[in-house]
Amino acid sequence: MFAITPNTLANFMISLSRYFILLSLVLISVSIFLIIFLENDYYQGISFKIMFIHVPTAWLSLAIFLVMGISSIIGLIFKSPTAFTVARSLSPIGLIMSIIVLVTGSIWGNLTWGAYWVWDARLTSMLILAFIYLGHILLLYSFEHFQKADFAASILAIIGLINLPIVKFSVDWWTTLHQESSVLRMGGPSMTNDYLITLLVSFFGIFMLTIFWFSNIFYIIVEKRKMERSKLLND
Amino acid sequence: MRIIKLNKQIKKRFIFLLIIFVCFSASIFLIGYSLKDQIAYFVEPTDLKSMDGIENKYLRVGGLVKANSLKFTDGNWIFEVIDQNKNSVNVVFSKTLPNLVEENKGIIVEGKFIDNIFIAEIVLAKHDENYMPQSAIDKLKEEGKWRGD
Repeated sequence: MFAITPNTLANFMISLSRYFILLSLVLISVSIFLIIFLENDYYQGISFKIMFIHVPTAWLSLAIFLVMGISSIIGLIFKSPTAFTVARSLSPIGLIMSIIVLVTGSIWGNLTWGAYWVWDARLTSMLILAFIYLGHILLLYSFEHFQKADFAASILAIIGLINLPIVKFSVDWWTTLHQESSVLRMGGPSMTNDYLITLLVSFFGIFMLTIFWFSNIFYIIVEKRKMERSKLLND
Repeated sequence: MRIIKLNKQIKKRFIFLLIIFVCFSASIFLIGYSLKDQIAYFVEPTDLKSMDGIENKYLRVGGLVKANSLKFTDGNWIFEVIDQNKNSVNVVFSKTLPNLVEENKGIIVEGKFIDNIFIAEIVLAKHDENYMPQSAIDKLKEEGKWRGD
């Protein structure tokens, strides 16, 4: 992060991106195959299978924000353009992930709870996370100079870090309609191994897709800046 | 070593960020702490005992549907919501129940107390964090380890 320039990282990531997408397609195909042949849950029936999109995207939307926050801290303290560019290229992915979480959760909620939306602590804090992603993107594009935009947006990302433990532990701190954690919880996962393996395969598939997507966005931002710079020099 | 040795400028920025972060965390904590009763989505039947003036007040009560209490009579669903401390609330509901409402399973009812009977306007099914196929349950039942219904 200190010595790596945006250019080096962009070239490194883009050279690996074909492997990321290949691995992601393989893992997602395997997980679709597993999901189709998986036995239904004894209580929720077939509707529990939406979990295999809902839970990986939920984990990723939290993890992406964590990476964004940490790279914003590094960017602000060490004035690292690489760290700022990492944060800049992650926020659209995080926004899409959190929208997928909210939409799939809403469908699942209607099937099981009997309501598309309720204002409990987990759902509300997740909606706030999506709005922070949106605010981060809007801040990035509301300045003429990208250095100023990076400064403002990274402050938002650092303040937004406070929301992460609230999303994760909201189900333990307050009573909610949303269930408590099934996998990342004290005393081990509360699902059978076949469900857990399918969940992990689908998580890594979507994770590799995220990495692929990130490398492409990162590369495009770096190349665009290079083009603008050479244009300025030519004028 | 050059990186580890913090210069003055970096130290200043670090302290600046730390102050921002601590101030915002503290304010969010205070908001969350003072609103903790409002943030809680429902109360349990045990909590109702210590609450005043619950008659005619719009409330959400959550717990499990008591075994052998779910009945359909005169166009109304009648059941009891019970919690871990065995305190229960009698509920009447006149609309269609969500699919997943079953005895010994989680439920949240929204409505008012009228003459010690809870008249529910909205009923939500609350499923827990356990997932397993029917075959796994049959196996557990065979081994005598199943602790559910």
